[in-house]
Amino acid sequence: MDLDAELMLRVKEGDGESFALLLGKHRSPVIHFLFRMVQSQAVAEELAQEVFLRVYRSRNTYVPTAKFTTWLFRIATHLALNALRDGKSERLQERLDDDTGGVPARQVSDRSPTVEQKLVHQAKMEEVRRAIAVLPAKQRAAVLMHKYQEMEYSQIAKVLSCSESAVKSLLFRAYETLRARLAHMA
Amino acid sequence: MDCPLQSREGAQLLLERCTGGAHAAPAGDLVRHIAECAVCRAFTEQQRSVWEAMDTWEAAPVSADFDQRLYRRIAAQTSWWERLLLPLRQASFGRSIPAAAMAGLLVMAGIVLVRPGVSPVAPPARAVEHAQGETLQPEQVEYTLDSMEVLEEFSQRVRPDAPESKL
Repeated sequence: MDLDAELMLRVKEGDGESFALLLGKHRSPVIHFLFRMVQSQAVAEELAQEVFLRVYRSRNTYVPTAKFTTWLFRIATHLALNALRDGKSERLQERLDDDTGGVPARQVSDRSPTVEQKLVHQAKMEEVRRAIAVLPAKQRAAVLMHKYQEMEYSQIAKVLSCSESAVKSLLFRAYETLRARLAHMA
Repeated sequence: MDCPLQSREGAQLLLERCTGGAHAAPAGDLVRHIAECAVCRAFTEQQRSVWEAMDTWEAAPVSADFDQRLYRRIAAQTSWWERLLLPLRQASFGRSIPAAAMAGLLVMAGIVLVRPGVSPVAPPARAVEHAQGETLQPEQVEYTLDSMEVLEEFSQRVRPDAPESKL
């Protein structure tokens, strides 16, 4: 049994500190995944709140049949796909009047890049964001878990409730689209 | 080696190799083929540039109050009895005693302490007698009044100075 599953079993026993440990460990990966899925920081955080709320609510019925992260990302992916299907992302975006289009403010590194470097980086990031945005939701989820969460095909398959060969196919088509759109950035 | 891009499976293997997949085709063969095949070389370079471009997409830092907001939502959705039982569960003996037994114990204690009109102490005997005296039946009252009347008549007959004395 993985450590996270053990922590979750302690949460089941009423140990609040174990929940805080799980939250501390998985907060950023979940929010970053959701942000890249829905492309809005506000919506991503709202969905992440729902993810951890569901984790907490499910503590009494939790059974460690799979890796904790698989279960966690299954909840996150399910919520993200629902939000994309319902157009929640766009609606909230309008409500918040977020004119940045969900692009996060980049943290400036210590090496202080020049204005030109910053602009080039910003343009590249925007292009990647747009290229990923046009992918079908399931392909997008597969690519994001593969690239940014560094998940194995088998784990992605469990998260998306499909076969490993289906994941390979999703990734192949997704990267095909991305190559067509981003290859010039070499 | 046949060109992997000629089949879907081969192309997937090449993709795995470009994206750090562990079980790609034997590295030596593939590397040699890529060096010789312009199409596979182009594929590999394109995929590598996509991979690097994706690295530029950084996620924003998480809001500082994220945890606070979450804990507030959890607190709002936690029922009062769960909050009541939480310290008991966390107590040193709490883990060994099932929560249901603890809840049952609390309920029993509540019933015993709150139950109105029932005293756990036995009432004194004199109070019982007093209570019984206060619950006389009508015929008993009638009998007593008759007795008093007879007694009064008797005393009038016995007293010689009484005007109605017959002795």
